[in-house]
Amino acid sequence: MRRFIAKLLFVAIIATLPLSSVRAQKQTAPETLIRNATVLTVTRGTLQNTDVLLRNGKIAAVGKNLNASANTRIIDGTGKYVMPGIIDCHSHSMLDTINEGTLSVTSMVRTADVLNTTDVDLYRELAGGVTTLNLLHGSANPIGGLNTVVKIKYGRAANEFLFPGAMPGIKFALGENVKRSSTPNQPGVTRRYPNTRMGVEETIRDAFTRARDYKRTWDEYRAASKNDKSLIPPRRDLQLEPLVEILEGKRYVHAHSYIASEILMLINVADEFGFKIKTFQHALEGYKVAKEIAAHGAGASIFADSWAYKIEAYDAIPYNAAIMTRAGVVVSMNSDSDERARRLNIEAAKAMHWGDLTEEQALKLITLNPAIQLGIQERVGSIEVGKDADIAIWNGHPFSVYSRVDTTFIDGDVYFDRAQDLARRPELAKERAALEQAEPNRPRPKGESPQTPRRRPSGHEDDDIEVEKP
Amino acid sequence: MPKIRLCLLVAFALFFINSNANAQRSAIDTYAITNARIVTVSGPVIERGTVVVRNGLIAAAGANVSAPPDARVIDGTGLTVYPGLIDSYTNLALPEAAPSPSPGGAPPRPAAPGPNSTQPPGLQPEVMVEDVIRPGGNEIEASRNTGITTALTSARTGIWMGQSALINLTGDTPQQMIVRSPIAMHVSFTPLRTGGYPGSLLGVFAALRQMMRDAQRYRDSMQIYERAPRGMRRPDTDRSLAALVPVIEGRMPVVMLANSEREISRALDLAEEFKLRLVIAGGREADRVADRLAKQKVPVLLSLNLPKRTTAAIPEADPEPLRVLRERVEAQQTAGKLAKAGVRFAFQSGSLTNMSDLLANASRTIENGLSQTDALRAFTIWPAEILGVQNQLGSIEAGKIANLTVVRGDLFDRNGRVTHVFIDGRPFEIKPPQESKQ
Repeated sequence: MRRFIAKLLFVAIIATLPLSSVRAQKQTAPETLIRNATVLTVTRGTLQNTDVLLRNGKIAAVGKNLNASANTRIIDGTGKYVMPGIIDCHSHSMLDTINEGTLSVTSMVRTADVLNTTDVDLYRELAGGVTTLNLLHGSANPIGGLNTVVKIKYGRAANEFLFPGAMPGIKFALGENVKRSSTPNQPGVTRRYPNTRMGVEETIRDAFTRARDYKRTWDEYRAASKNDKSLIPPRRDLQLEPLVEILEGKRYVHAHSYIASEILMLINVADEFGFKIKTFQHALEGYKVAKEIAAHGAGASIFADSWAYKIEAYDAIPYNAAIMTRAGVVVSMNSDSDERARRLNIEAAKAMHWGDLTEEQALKLITLNPAIQLGIQERVGSIEVGKDADIAIWNGHPFSVYSRVDTTFIDGDVYFDRAQDLARRPELAKERAALEQAEPNRPRPKGESPQTPRRRPSGHEDDDIEVEKP
Repeated sequence: MPKIRLCLLVAFALFFINSNANAQRSAIDTYAITNARIVTVSGPVIERGTVVVRNGLIAAAGANVSAPPDARVIDGTGLTVYPGLIDSYTNLALPEAAPSPSPGGAPPRPAAPGPNSTQPPGLQPEVMVEDVIRPGGNEIEASRNTGITTALTSARTGIWMGQSALINLTGDTPQQMIVRSPIAMHVSFTPLRTGGYPGSLLGVFAALRQMMRDAQRYRDSMQIYERAPRGMRRPDTDRSLAALVPVIEGRMPVVMLANSEREISRALDLAEEFKLRLVIAGGREADRVADRLAKQKVPVLLSLNLPKRTTAAIPEADPEPLRVLRERVEAQQTAGKLAKAGVRFAFQSGSLTNMSDLLANASRTIENGLSQTDALRAFTIWPAEILGVQNQLGSIEAGKIANLTVVRGDLFDRNGRVTHVFIDGRPFEIKPPQESKQ
C-alpha cells in the first residue's frame, strides 16, 4: 500500500509539471514592437534608434516612434541590434539519415521523408540567430537526393517546418567524395562506379540523357493517348522525374564541388543539356573561375576559411568570398555542420577581414544571398515591410565575437528567448530529479555500462559523407 | 451418420494421443468449467456460471448453463474465465533469424531470391509466413503459459516483409494452426543490410513509393490487356507487384512498424499518399499523434515491451538525456491516452525477451491511466476487430472458437496466475512458473 501511495505521488508530480517543459518555449503575440534598436536591414542600410513592428507574422513597419496597440508586446531594443534571420544554405540538421550511397544516382530519395523535428541542434541554431535551413542530401553520389528548405519552427510538426514557396532543389556532388577516394578497397567488394572525375561526368551525362528520353516517352504517350485510350502508360520513374524538372527549370541544382576544373565541367554539361546550376556548394576554388560561374548565372555557397582538410581542399583561400562577390557571383556562407551553424555571423564577419567586403556585403552572405539561392528572397533575407517576421535581436553587433542572440522570431513567433531559457532551467532540473526516480529510469544492479557519448564531427569535416546520426 | 461420428472420434483420439506432451491425452472434446467467474467481454461479467466447450467451439456460457453429461468437468471455484488472449504482433512459429553480418566485414552475399521474384529479399511482398510456419517450440509454449491463445505472426525482416497469418498456439500441422491467412501486408522502415539499394532510410521511402507506383501501373496494364488481349503485346507478369495490388486498392491492411512520433507520422503520410489501410505496430509514442490516428481511423498494435533503463549506475557516465527519461515514463501512459483519444488499439508482446513481463507491463499501463476493462479488450475483442476475426474470436459467446484463458484470481493482478488455456477447445494445464530471480 505504501508503495502504491508513493507511486500515486510520483504520478501526481509528473502530471503537475507544466506542459511547456515538454516542448520548446514559444510565445504567440498578435503584435510585437521592438523599440529604439539598431536595425541592420541588409538592403536599406543600418538604421539607428529605429522601431520594428511585427504583425500577423510579417514585418508591418520599420521607422521612428511607431505606435503600438493595447495588446502589443513591446521589447526595449535600446543598445540592441536587429538583423534578419540567418539562412544556412547547406545543412544536414534534423535529418535522420543523410546519404543513400548505394547508387550513383539517387534523385528518387527525399530529405523531406526523414525529418526529425526534435533534433536539439535546431534549438542551438535558433540560439545563433538562424531561422532558415537548406537541408541537403549528403555528397556520396554524383546525383543525390532532393532537398528541403525549412523554417526552424522547433516544437511544431514537420509539415509546419516546410518553407512555403521555396524552390524545390536537389543535391549534386563531384570529386573525392563521390569517387570514394577515402574509402579503402576491400577484397572481394566491387567499388561503386564512378571512381574518377571522368566517371562522375559520364554518370551525370548518362542520367540526363535518360531523363531527356523519359520526358520524350511521356510527351509522346500524352499526345497519342488522346486518340487511343487502350495505350498502356509508360512507367513512372521516380528517379528521372526530378531530373526532368531540372531540365524544365523547375528545380534548383545545388552542386557540391571543390576544384576549378570540375566546376567548369559541370557548367559545360549543364549548358549542353540546357539547364542551370543554381549554386556550387563549397566551391573552394571558385575564385579561380569566378567569371565563368557568374556568366553561367550560378551562385556559390562556401566556407569562410577552411582549407587543406583533404587533397582537393589545398587551394582554398579565405579571399574566396570577396573575389567571387566582386566578379558578380551571388555568394553565401554556409555551415554544413550543426556546430558551425551556431556561429555563421562570425563566418560572415571574416569576409570583411579577408578581402575587405563592406558590412552590408558581408551581411548578405548569410541573409539575402542564400535567400536568392533558394528562391525565397521575396519572403526573407532582409528587413523590409511586407517580408516574413523572421528576425533576431542581438545584444551587440552580430559581427562581434562578444555578441549573442537574445530573441529569435519566425513568422512573428518567438522560437528562442535567452531569458526564458535561463528561467526554465530550475524547472527542468526538478523534472529530471523526479524522472530519475521513476521505475523505468532506475539503474539496474547488474546492467551493462552506459555508452560513452559519440564524438561530434569537428567543424571542417564538411563532407557529409558516411555521417549517420544516432 | 453415427459411423462418421465414430470415425471422427477415433481420429480425434489418435490426434490427441500423438499430440504435444503438455496436452491432456484425452479423446474427450466436451468440457465444462463450472462455478467460475466468466468475463465474456461482449456482455456483462457472470459472477458464477458455467462455460461449455464442445468440438472446438464455445457451446454455451452463462449463470444458468449446466454441464452436459458427457463433459469433463473442471471445478472453476476461484477461477476466472476470459476469452483467450491475442498477441497482435509476434514472430512465433517462424524459423530462427539468420545471424547478422559482423560489423566492418564484407557485406554478406545476398540470399537466393524467392522463387522467380523480380525483387531482392527484403522487397518481396509476395512472401507469406503461411508458407514457413512450423508448429511447436519453446516460444509458443512460453506464450501459451502467459495466457496467449492466438497470435499474429509476421516475418522478422525486410522492408516489404510479406504477408502475416493469425495462428492458434496449438495444432500439429501448420494448416491446423492457421486461423486466417493472409491477414495483412507488413512494412518496416529498415534499410537492406546487403549493400544494395535501398541502404538508408531515405532510400526505403523511395523504394516503397516506386514499387507502389509500379503496382498501380501493373494493375492498369493487366486490366487494359485483359479487356482486349488480341493485338496487344502481353505485359510481363510480376508476383511482387501482383501482391501489392490488394494493398494499393485498400483491400488488404498494411501494418507499418513505427514507434516514435516521427516514424508514425511518416507512416501516416505514406498511407495518405497511396490511400492505404494503415495499421501501426509498435506505437510507443502513438499518443502524440492520437488526434490524427483517431481521425483517420488508424488502429495501433501497441507493444508492451515497455522501455526501461538496462544499464548500471556508473558515476563517471554522462547523465541520461532528459528526452530519454521522459520517453520511458511516458511509454507507460500511451495506452491510457490512446483509449481516451478514441484510438483503437490492441496489445502485442513486441519481442519481449521474458514473456512473464507481458501481463506485468499491462498492469503498468493500468496504473498509468488505462481502465481494466479496456486493458482486457486490448487483449481480446479489439485485436479480433482490427485483424478482422471478431466473428471467430475475442469474446466468450456461443459459436466462437473455444479459446479461453483461465486465471486463478484476476488477470491483471500481480498475484493472479494462469491455470489453464483452451485453444480450439483443447485444454492445456499451465504449471506454476518457477520463481524468477529479480
